[in-house]
Amino acid sequence: MPVEITVHEQSCRGCELCVDICPTKVFAMDQERRLCTVEHAEDCIACLSCAYICPSGAITQRDFHPVKNFYRDEEFCQKMGKFL
Amino acid sequence: MEETRNQRLALQDAMVFLGAIASGTEQAIGESASGISYLAGVNLGKKLSRGVPSTDSIEQALQATREVLEKNDYLWLFEPFQTHDQESLVRRTEQGMEVMLVFRDCMIRQSLFRFGHVQKGSLCNMMYGFFAGALQNIMGRESSLEIVHAGENACYKRLLVRDC
Repeated sequence: MPVEITVHEQSCRGCELCVDICPTKVFAMDQERRLCTVEHAEDCIACLSCAYICPSGAITQRDFHPVKNFYRDEEFCQKMGKFL
Repeated sequence: MEETRNQRLALQDAMVFLGAIASGTEQAIGESASGISYLAGVNLGKKLSRGVPSTDSIEQALQATREVLEKNDYLWLFEPFQTHDQESLVRRTEQGMEVMLVFRDCMIRQSLFRFGHVQKGSLCNMMYGFFAGALQNIMGRESSLEIVHAGENACYKRLLVRDC
């Protein structure tokens, strides 16, 4: 299942930071409208760097795997017991 | 419940300790810190992959490496990734075979974020070393793992398994 990416058009300022930071070139710049557009959502690895870097918070992702904060995960803490 | 809480605290202490050591080593000896982490990773990769059947197939070797990590409860899982314009998962280059890997849950990334250290530092080289050690055992070949992008929720890396 590809990640669902939404760009809020009214918030996007066309700074192209998302285009530059994306390692798999998911975004493209619509030069006429000065907006970033999602060209290849299927290539998104859900690193979320675009969402973090966007100055206007215009990018949101859905249906992705959020990383585990393993130090808060009880099951994982129990597994790590053997190393501690 | 109390035991789990204690384990959590111990884990956090271990993470602070690990982060402090990595950060301190980087400050003290600079780039050489990456070499130390790399070698630690190589040793770990070789040790954990001992006894894994040899193969020439990079897909099988990656699957075996993944199983080794899972079996040992290491939160360092990865998956091969192919973008829409790549013809195949494994590509042949002048130096050898290349596969792009996505790392999602990662103990090191979470440790770095938890205590405000930067990514792509010496600790990240441990994974490079782990792959080098494991693939040396499983495929009998040298490899490198380049960090293409270190993201907040996932990292994108290029694995190159060199020709003999």
